[in-house]
Amino acid sequence: MIALSLALVLAYTPQEAQALFTEANDAYYRQEYPVAIEKYQRLITAGQGGPDVLFNLGTAYLAKDELGPAVLHLTRAARLSHDDDIAAQLAVAQQRLTDQVVGATDTQPFLERVAHAIDERWTSIAFLTAWWLAFFLLFFFVRAERGRRWVLGLVTTVAFVVAIVLGAVVAVHASVATSVQEAVVMAPTAPAREFPGPSAKVAFEVHAGLLVRVMEDDGRFVRIRLPNALEGWVEKGQVTAL
Amino acid sequence: MARTGSALAIIVLLGSGASIAAEPEFYMAVDRTKVGTEDTFRCEIVVSNAPEGAVVQFPAPNDFEVLSKGDSTQMSYSVGPGGLGQIKQVRKYTLVMRANRVGTLTIPAAGLQTANRTYKTEAIKIEVVAGRLAPDPRNTRKPPANPFGLPPGFPFGGLDDDDDPLGGINPFDPFGEDPGIPKSDSDLFLRATLDRPEVYVGEQVTLSLLIYARMNLVGVDSVTMPKLEGFLSQDLSTPTNLAPEARTVGGVQYNAYLLRSKALFPMKAGEIGIEAAEADIASAGFPYNRKIHRKANTLTLRVKPLPKNATNVGKWRLSSTANQTDLALGEPVQLKVILEGRGNLKAVTLPSLQAPQSFRVFDPQQTEKATITRNQYGGQRVVEYVLVPQQTGRFELPGLTLEYFDPESQTIEKSSTDSLTITVRPSGTNATAIAVPGNPTGTQEPTARNQLVGGGLKSLRHTAAFSAPKAALWSRAFFLPAAIAPAGLGLLLALFAFVRGKLGQEDEASKKNKQAKAARRRLAQAEKVSHKGGTTEFYGEVDKALRSFLEARLSQPVTGLTRPQLDEAMKAANVSEAVRQRVLGVFETCDLGRYAPGMGDAQARRRALEDAVHAMEVWP
Repeated sequence: MIALSLALVLAYTPQEAQALFTEANDAYYRQEYPVAIEKYQRLITAGQGGPDVLFNLGTAYLAKDELGPAVLHLTRAARLSHDDDIAAQLAVAQQRLTDQVVGATDTQPFLERVAHAIDERWTSIAFLTAWWLAFFLLFFFVRAERGRRWVLGLVTTVAFVVAIVLGAVVAVHASVATSVQEAVVMAPTAPAREFPGPSAKVAFEVHAGLLVRVMEDDGRFVRIRLPNALEGWVEKGQVTAL
Repeated sequence: MARTGSALAIIVLLGSGASIAAEPEFYMAVDRTKVGTEDTFRCEIVVSNAPEGAVVQFPAPNDFEVLSKGDSTQMSYSVGPGGLGQIKQVRKYTLVMRANRVGTLTIPAAGLQTANRTYKTEAIKIEVVAGRLAPDPRNTRKPPANPFGLPPGFPFGGLDDDDDPLGGINPFDPFGEDPGIPKSDSDLFLRATLDRPEVYVGEQVTLSLLIYARMNLVGVDSVTMPKLEGFLSQDLSTPTNLAPEARTVGGVQYNAYLLRSKALFPMKAGEIGIEAAEADIASAGFPYNRKIHRKANTLTLRVKPLPKNATNVGKWRLSSTANQTDLALGEPVQLKVILEGRGNLKAVTLPSLQAPQSFRVFDPQQTEKATITRNQYGGQRVVEYVLVPQQTGRFELPGLTLEYFDPESQTIEKSSTDSLTITVRPSGTNATAIAVPGNPTGTQEPTARNQLVGGGLKSLRHTAAFSAPKAALWSRAFFLPAAIAPAGLGLLLALFAFVRGKLGQEDEASKKNKQAKAARRRLAQAEKVSHKGGTTEFYGEVDKALRSFLEARLSQPVTGLTRPQLDEAMKAANVSEAVRQRVLGVFETCDLGRYAPGMGDAQARRRALEDAVHAMEVWP
């Protein structure tokens, strides 16, 4: 609520936003990356940071060689827009990462792939439309005379099948979004410990820009899991949720 | 100078070559009356106009050690009153002495024995304290090389430090310091010296090992230098022949020989000790030479840490040259980066060349040449890059900047090369690229082509949709009710239909009433048809209405029944005779009206309608 109020207060007009955006781009091309980053951040704080602003912000961090925030913002942009440029920029960031996760499975679980491949918004709209249509058709099917019923019955069945499939996809989206929490390592070096505590033995270290999955939150520490199932506890401040 | 003793004057009168003799003057003086046990001081005995045969009796103090003794004579001529010439002879004896103990000590009086009398000076009291009162000559810096303070660039003022990294060196003279004379071995001793007591990490300090001798030396059999842990060291001088240089130490004449000279570069901050060096020295003797072992003094060097972010130390200059800046595609550019100056050359880290991606950069070749200038270690490093352009166009090779800490100015200095603009033209169609040194692919390559390589960061977005990321649709408040609503509505409708079905079950009487009402509605329909003039349709409607009414009332189908059968059915239903006749009459009229159209005038239709209505109304 406070963030929303703040965004409303700080919101720029479209002209102001575009001017600020252009200033940030100019600063980027002058290689004044901190200035560019600050201006992009102002747009995001004002609630006007779409995938394009996130893309530019991530690119500026990448040019500044700060891999943590670069991967964070580019991944956020990728979640909002399936775009080749974002994927290419993320590939560059991946090449620069310190960490190489050995033994990681190349493919995501099936449901996550489904969720990432299909646009949630349009799927949800299509589901509601098909769902309502199917019930309307059912209503008319019930009241129809016997001679016309088989056509109406066929259309109604097809509408129900489509609606149910779309509804399943929406359910997959909801399930993945609520059960899978991903984060990016922001600290240059973050020791991953065997249990949550500053005195715990360090099992391994992760470095800025690595995408991890947050499995458990213990207050000060979170349990992270790498794509190869390696797990450890790192301080919560060393990672930022997507 | 304290001055004591009786004064005698010799007055020589020179008139026409004559001279007049005067009383001799005899006194003793010291240059200091308060000294330390490690200090040396001078004691001078002066005799003026001593008579022929006079003998000086030197003091023989028990509390002082006479380190050396020397004498000098001065003659002077002057014209006195009356134009007489006067000759004055002054003989000065200089004793270099050092106290043996602390306290108020006395130098006994010296004497001058002449033919007819003995002259005596006064004894001199000297206050002696422990240690050294005079400043330690090893801790004093040399004056600058430009003692006249001439400005930089002045023709005779030496090199300008800004232009010459080797400029401004104060040449270290290893013999130039007073090493102090050890209590024992004063005739032959070994001394290790540092040219400065305090340096920064990585700054050069020069270690010298010297022999001081007041005897004839034949040679040095062996020299054992200390381990020098904590230093990087480079030899500056290792003489093979002993070259003496006359030096005066504390007023005592010595021959000094340089044995070793090393440039040391401390690697860590703090106090670093240097162990004593040792040497076996052969001195001339009769009948055999004598081998003498001597051990030098230990040293301590204070090493100051470098400022933050400083890595390179010294005074350096960076420059670069390229063999060509306008070339064809595929031709190599040879870029030489030259570092020169003074300091530990091997420890300097050069910035790496950040060539544009359009250039293929081969591994650089590096050569180093160390130089020693005025005991300062330094040199020149040349790094030669070979760059081969892969694309046409104008490219900028950025300049290189070397940061180093200059211990003299105690600041971090920068030396930069200029950036180079290189123009790459398309190569000729039949041209071949010049072979690149170190290229394993061969001596010739086919004509170079403009290589357009993908990769790198994508360019920024220049237009944007300035909207905050929206929450997922399924997570919004309206979504779940919207998804449940159609199913809920369907269930409600089904429930309503079920309830209505349950509540709407009619008994036989009401069903009959409904059918009767329907029959009456049909009669009303027939009446409308009657107004339009359709006779057949009118009677058809009346017939259907009456039959529907009868089916409802008799609870059996009446279509297909003959008149007698219909009459029987009505009779069975306790319908009165009058009503039966009226019903049958209506059917008869309808048949006539439908099948004999000319019979159905308006009056007949109205009567049939009234009869049908009446029959329905009076039905029991």
